[in-house]
Amino acid sequence: MIIRRRTLLAASAATAATIASPAIAQNYPRRPVQLVVAFAAGGSTDVGARILAAAAEKDLGQTITVVNKPGAGGQIGFTEIARAKPDGYTLGFLNLPAVNTIILDPERKAAFNVDSFIPIINQVLDPGLIWVKADSPYKTLADLTEAAKKTPGKISVCTTGILSDDHLAILMVQEAAKCEFRIVHFDSGTQQLAGVLGGHVDVAFDNVGSVFKRVQSGEVRGLAVTDVERSKFLPQVPCTKELGLTTVISSSTRGVGAPKGTPADVVKAIETAFLKAINSAEMKEKMDAVGLALKPMVGAEYAKYYADTQAQAKKYTEWALKMR
Amino acid sequence: MDALNHLLAGFAAALSFKYLMFALVGCVLGTLIGVLPGLGPAAGTAILIPLTFSLDATGAIIMLCAIYYGAMYGGTITSVLLNVPGEAASVVTCIDGYQMALQGRAGTALAIAAIGSFVGGTLATVALVMVATPLATLALKFGPVEFFALMVAGLCLVVGLAGKNMLAALLMTVIGLLFAMIGVDPVRGAPRFTFGVEELYDGIGFVPVVMGLFGVAELLLAAEQRQARIIQANLNKWMPTKEERRASVGAIGRGTVVGFVLGLIPGVGAIVPTFMAYVIEKRVSKTPERFGKGAIEGVASAETANNAYANAAMVPLLALGIPSSPTIAVLMGAFIINGITPGPFLFQEQPTLVWTVIASFFVGNALLLILNLPLVGLWAKLLKIPFSYMCTGVLIFCIIGAYGLKQSMFDVWVMLGFGIIGYLLRKLDFPIAPAILALILGPMMEKSLRTTLEISGGSFAIFLERPVALVLLTVPVIVLGALLLRPKTFSKLRESDVD
Repeated sequence: MIIRRRTLLAASAATAATIASPAIAQNYPRRPVQLVVAFAAGGSTDVGARILAAAAEKDLGQTITVVNKPGAGGQIGFTEIARAKPDGYTLGFLNLPAVNTIILDPERKAAFNVDSFIPIINQVLDPGLIWVKADSPYKTLADLTEAAKKTPGKISVCTTGILSDDHLAILMVQEAAKCEFRIVHFDSGTQQLAGVLGGHVDVAFDNVGSVFKRVQSGEVRGLAVTDVERSKFLPQVPCTKELGLTTVISSSTRGVGAPKGTPADVVKAIETAFLKAINSAEMKEKMDAVGLALKPMVGAEYAKYYADTQAQAKKYTEWALKMR
Repeated sequence: MDALNHLLAGFAAALSFKYLMFALVGCVLGTLIGVLPGLGPAAGTAILIPLTFSLDATGAIIMLCAIYYGAMYGGTITSVLLNVPGEAASVVTCIDGYQMALQGRAGTALAIAAIGSFVGGTLATVALVMVATPLATLALKFGPVEFFALMVAGLCLVVGLAGKNMLAALLMTVIGLLFAMIGVDPVRGAPRFTFGVEELYDGIGFVPVVMGLFGVAELLLAAEQRQARIIQANLNKWMPTKEERRASVGAIGRGTVVGFVLGLIPGVGAIVPTFMAYVIEKRVSKTPERFGKGAIEGVASAETANNAYANAAMVPLLALGIPSSPTIAVLMGAFIINGITPGPFLFQEQPTLVWTVIASFFVGNALLLILNLPLVGLWAKLLKIPFSYMCTGVLIFCIIGAYGLKQSMFDVWVMLGFGIIGYLLRKLDFPIAPAILALILGPMMEKSLRTTLEISGGSFAIFLERPVALVLLTVPVIVLGALLLRPKTFSKLRESDVD
């Protein structure tokens, strides 16, 4: 009996201590930190997140555990991040523009909004890549858009999900080149590969990181990178800016965020540790191997990027919703 | 030759101490599951998924596959010694196996089952090696149109093969498809049937449902029944006589072919190949009157077909990414949890993993033979543990496992809820397998149908324009039509030949 009472007392004392300690930041972090990834293990986001977690652990001084909460195009995981206790022990990967479009689509009934997250630090900017089968009649992006103008709605192009960055990129090309495609929504890059290589769909809109190895090996042909500059992984593929399609700028960016209400000094501690990790030579080497381009952004710069993405996504999401 | 090189490298990895241990642990756990009446391969594999979370992907898959075919084998032991099938596919083994046990030939029955399982499993894996890579290349030609047609054909077969229970099977298939609709719309992203419950956004978890419908439901059923009396048999005398050996060779050969071929067809399930092998054996036998009275061919054919099927069913999973039975569906879930997508690119992108896993099939089959020939007495002893202890232990393990999936109590409630539903369905004699298969195929079917319509611009005529899809959709119509018009032939086949 005595033992039990003592344990109970100790337990309640511990609970009281946790509740009554607002100044957690002074000795943050005191226990392992969870890093929620809203996509499945093995995907591009997960690969980058695990490299980052392993590197940032050393500077943070605590274990960082990557927790995959995939489903509903990221909505499950993002909800988890938004709803977590804002104490710095649950962080998450924010995929832009996935976060933005989920918020903007009323059918999704998202349990979070733009202000639910504090964007802390960006890690990756993976530009979009438009690609076709190696024996496709379309040798350049111009070939493709010309053909699409002649046969509106006949050429099929595929995304990795409705309102994904790939879907937005298709809408941007349609707007800029004044043409029309038949849009097919797949779930993943693997499905796109099966669809295009199997001859079921003509063109794929994906990201450099997921297909660059197949472009390098000549298995598929890259038509354009949807960015203001060429990708260092695919120097032979032109970018949309040099092709004159200056409004077709689309990418998937991934960074670390925290739920609203996380104390400022905790945010600062996370930013410092993660920035050091991202700027390390080891990080660069590991990310190069998997074809993911680093794009460190913190503070006001990252906050502005987050807001800009929201504004850009708003325009195209409204378009897409109108087409439903 | 490329496949052979990969396979040899796979063997090198599969025979490393670490993976050998994983395969061994899997085989032991699988046999254990097979021995425990009530827990079949589907529930067993589902329950044990959380165990593998800490392993690397290859190790996890090796262990779960070993659990799968271990369970397929383990079911034999209870069939022979208790006349209780440890898992559904062992029903046929009971017929002659139990009779052999009554005649004091239990050791021989178990030995021939082990040998048949080994030969069937190994030959089926050899065929898998030869078929899988070309099929994966061919699989690219399989677009959403063909996938949808294939899955419809599979579900039709499940319903058609339910025999006199066809209507119930149809109902269960539809219910499974309805449950599959829960969650976020796969194309437009709108939540459906979620009633605002955040946990339902991603759909009902497949693994907790399987654990409930198969595992918990079976435990509830088992708790009701009195423990059957085990036959005291001298298991040391297991060597088949010369005559028995001669009789078994043909049965094992035919069982392998039947099991392998049927394993390639989605929706057939594990029971049909064993039935069919048994029926064929009875037909070709010069002394069919011995069947049902302890004919060794009956045991040999059924058990061989059972394990040949188990290994062949991996082909559509690895090459096409389509699960053909509930247990394979659970395995597919395990692949996905480990970040591996089965399908046409698996052999290209993860050659080391695939070939190590395939090599481990050979290793596992050999391990099972070793585990079962000399150690069968040990397994038999397990049957003496009182049910009350066993059921409680397994139930606790189920609850921990369900919680461990996502660290959420929600999955535990789903499992227990579906456990009660499964119990009631079993009491009412409704088949559960069609619902499970529909539940896993449902989202894939919906997605492929909607992608198909996106590709065709909304026209259903695309199904008539693609020859493969057309054939795939015609076959089940003919089969179902034939069954509906002449239902007696089929039920007669099932009942008369087995009684």
